[in-house]
Amino acid sequence: MDTTFLKKLITTSLGRKSLMAVTGLLLGAFMLIHLGENLLLLKGETAYNGWVEFLLSNPVTPLLEFGLLLLFVVHITAGVWVRVEDFLNSPRGYEARRWQGGRTIGSATMLYTAAAILVYLLYHMLTFRFVDHSMGFYQMVTGAFRSPVFTSIYVAGSAALALHLSHGMQSAFQTLGLNHPKYTPLIKAGGWLVALAMLGFALISLYFLFNMDLKAAEAGFQVIIIR
Amino acid sequence: MKQNKQFNVTVRVWRQAGPGEPGKMVSYKVGDISPDMSFLEMLDVLNDDLLKKGEEPIAVESDCREGICGCCGLVINGDVHGPDEHSTVCQLHMRRFKDGDVITVEPWRSKSFPAIKDLVVDRSALDRIMQAGGFVSVNAGAAPDANSVPVDRDRAEAAMDAAACIGCGACVAACPNGAAMLFTGAKISQLALLPQGAPERAARALNMVEAMDREGFGNCTNEYECEAVCPKEIKVSNIARMNREFLLANLFSKR
Ligand code: HEM
Ligand code: SF4
Ligand code: FES
Repeated sequence: MDTTFLKKLITTSLGRKSLMAVTGLLLGAFMLIHLGENLLLLKGETAYNGWVEFLLSNPVTPLLEFGLLLLFVVHITAGVWVRVEDFLNSPRGYEARRWQGGRTIGSATMLYTAAAILVYLLYHMLTFRFVDHSMGFYQMVTGAFRSPVFTSIYVAGSAALALHLSHGMQSAFQTLGLNHPKYTPLIKAGGWLVALAMLGFALISLYFLFNMDLKAAEAGFQVIIIR
Repeated sequence: MKQNKQFNVTVRVWRQAGPGEPGKMVSYKVGDISPDMSFLEMLDVLNDDLLKKGEEPIAVESDCREGICGCCGLVINGDVHGPDEHSTVCQLHMRRFKDGDVITVEPWRSKSFPAIKDLVVDRSALDRIMQAGGFVSVNAGAAPDANSVPVDRDRAEAAMDAAACIGCGACVAACPNGAAMLFTGAKISQLALLPQGAPERAARALNMVEAMDREGFGNCTNEYECEAVCPKEIKVSNIARMNREFLLANLFSKR
């Protein structure tokens, strides 16, 4: 069996970049699904806990979880590898050097946002995944969000994720060779939408921090409109 | 006319005696500059002065002086190829500067372009990428009739756009990662788009990308700084095409 083509995914620059891009896109898709799951928190305890029970009782879940872990490991390994090489190759010693308008805040901060997301991810795992769940999932999550420190970390983490994806989403398509005047504007707009959606995680935690009541807010809104 | 008044500038130039030698920035005053001079002519005047004084002239590369050979790569005041957009240094004119300006002039400082002397660097890494597959192997014989190989007009245009690359290396100099993907993307694209390039298409993509890696160029993270400086306005869609060519060749070719 000839496995050269598989080796090339690791031994060549474009191979490593495409591993990073594919895993990045899949992680992005997962994050959208995860946001959907979290929106159930707003629906209430029964809806949220019902979904979590379903996941936990499902034999496929551990497999999916392992797949997710694999995505993170490959993404982080390929991404950090690419970036370390780039750091070693980056031009040095310029007395004066100006960027000419190609870079964005998102692209220039990829490594920093990556580190922030990693911290956010580990914190998330330590506080929600590897803990005692006996109080019930809804109680655990909404209770945690009532802490300003906890929610601040969530807000910062989501912002980092949004910035990472503001460059990352369209970048991944370019890496995989998909760039055409017909659809690249759509990809760029879509990438921004996904990036902005990540702020949803921050909004959900803020919602519980301030103990907002959707029904009351809705009623208040209607009063304003009617007046 | 005020425009034609002669003026003086100070240039701060990178001086380095040879490969591996320590270098430093040295300031020179250059007087009686006409706004119509090109930047290279201004350096010629400075070098004349240095020769008259018995000093070593500044080594700087140029050839065509009409923006088509790609020799004259310099970083001027932090801008790759100087302050004009999509231009070469030989096409930059002193009217872009004013009396009393201090102008910083540096060579390309990329790891894969080792220093030779002063402002001259060794860009042969780009040649070695070309040697790995940037050509078509044709049997010698009578030239075929021009219209015997039909080419779609849009493809011909796209191939011509890619073929405009002059191999100056500005994309490498501009890249935060020191990557040569715009150059390699253009060189792979110009042949991938045409029927004449088809027989060697897969091998070309694989070989040229691997040659690029061997030369130690960085990895593209799609910063698009290259596209912003390229004097020939090569588009990053050529990088996407290279990625596509490489990934498809890796999956579907026999090699
Ligand atoms: C849910 C979390 C994450 C998502 C959705 C995500 C998504 C992406 C995407 C789409 C890209 C662009 C790929 C390309 O340019 O082809 C990317 C790049 C990258 N990611 Fe992530 N990522 C996530 C988490 C992380 C983490 C935790 C790290 C590392 C600790 C990381 C490190 C990187 C690096 C180093 C790059 C390359 C930077 C660059 O191209 O400039 N990512 N990511
Ligand atoms: S792609 Fe543009 S910047 Fe790069 S070598 Fe070719 S002409 Fe120069
Ligand atoms: S000298 Fe030929 S491009 Fe400037």
